Amino acid sequence: MSSHSDLLRQPGPPIGFATIVTFVIALMFIVSMFAIGFTPGQMAEVPAGVARVLSFFWPVDMAYGWDRVLPAIVESIQIAWIGTIIAALLSLPLALFGARTLFPRVARVVKLISATARAFPEILLAIYFVPIVGLGPFAGALAIGISSVGMLTKLGAEVVDSLDFGTVEAVEAAGGSRILALRWAVLPQVLPEIIAHWLFRFELNIRASAVLGVVGAGGVGGVLLNVVLAIDMISGEIRRRIIRS
Amino acid sequence: MRLAPRPRKNLLFWLGVIVFLLSMSLWSARGIGFSLTELVCNLTDGSRLLRESWPPDLAFLARLVDPMLETVFIAVVGTVVGGIFAIPVAVLAARNLTPNRLTWFADRNFMNILRTLPDLFWAMLFATAVGFGPVAGALALTVFTVAVISKLYSESLESIDMGLPEAIRAVGGSWLQMIQFGALPQALQHYVSYALYAFELNIRASVVLGLVGAGGIGMILETQRANFEYERVTMIILAVLVAVLMIEEVSESIRKRLT
Repeated sequence: MSSHSDLLRQPGPPIGFATIVTFVIALMFIVSMFAIGFTPGQMAEVPAGVARVLSFFWPVDMAYGWDRVLPAIVESIQIAWIGTIIAALLSLPLALFGARTLFPRVARVVKLISATARAFPEILLAIYFVPIVGLGPFAGALAIGISSVGMLTKLGAEVVDSLDFGTVEAVEAAGGSRILALRWAVLPQVLPEIIAHWLFRFELNIRASAVLGVVGAGGVGGVLLNVVLAIDMISGEIRRRIIRS
Repeated sequence: MRLAPRPRKNLLFWLGVIVFLLSMSLWSARGIGFSLTELVCNLTDGSRLLRESWPPDLAFLARLVDPMLETVFIAVVGTVVGGIFAIPVAVLAARNLTPNRLTWFADRNFMNILRTLPDLFWAMLFATAVGFGPVAGALALTVFTVAVISKLYSESLESIDMGLPEAIRAVGGSWLQMIQFGALPQALQHYVSYALYAFELNIRASVVLGLVGAGGIGMILETQRANFEYERVTMIILAVLVAVLMIEEVSESIRKRLT
């Protein structure tokens, strides 16, 4: 017979996994701060230093001219677009087959492919493509495309992994194959989030193509911001529409 | 047996989307000189660089340990600090949680500005501010992390079930309590996976940051590439690949156990 004091003596909830993870991360953080030689004194210098560097960017050199800046921006948007289209087309099937809950065996291979694609920095990929297609925006688009495939596959597979499998079971119970289940149960559920990832990647790719040296730094900041703002609005609108329909 | 009629989609809307996508792609492909024939025909003789990159220089591995560790340290600092700062930024930018429209608007634009500027810009900015080295890299990645997580997390927060936050408000909870107990826990799972995603992005970004002298494995990569030591470049890429795979494995198991 359990008395009141027995109940009191029962162990409390064990130290949760989340607590351990938090503790480990905190420890890693402290070790890292020491390892990179961080000092509080340095932080005091940051605002002044940043202000000094930012002052170089002001005032905007209007004389440089829109006619020189605009084509460069258009080109970097085109590079990002082609790169994202390549990545979207390649990553959608990879993401579906990379879900370990649906295809445990194939998922391993897909994961290795996507990790390999992600290990190459874009700049290095561009260097590999230059002897094949020549120096220019095409090499940049291919580099951005390949490196985006890795990330989009990974994110897409995670979305598929996290979905509700009731509908998949329903399709299979009704006699549908795995592939049919993909089309009618998985795709409609994951598409809104996957498209949001595509749009987000497009946005990242515009910045990446700027880094690839197509657009010089300086006066383009304002225009680039407008493009990001526009994509942000469009992506939100598309998400809402897809979720509603 | 008759099936129920399939719901009619907004046909015109989808047609418009498809036309837009196609014309945008054709315009871009022309603009950048996209050519499949060029790609396929030159694939064999253009792959000289790839042949030079194989086999990887295994002996070089010993010299990669320290810079690889530095890369991880930079990424840890950037992810932790950036991940913490990203939470308030994301909350204020979520349409359903923000206290008023003005805050929402200001924060949304702040986020957009952060995302507009490329990571290399931040690296150069902080390298001039605090001097070349890993601290500049960590600061750059902090900003980069805030930019990435806040955008994704605010979208997750916008899609939470508002019943719980409203209930907390209804029983007299403050705005902060509503956020803390009603909103954040609902999207916690998403936050964890975004933070792990940002960590991985940061490992990869710190490879690039090394190119402008912000510490880590990128500095070694740049020197070897400049000396045409492509077998060593391959070795460095392999080291990054192993690191990325390990992080993915760990993040997978963490996410699985936390949810």
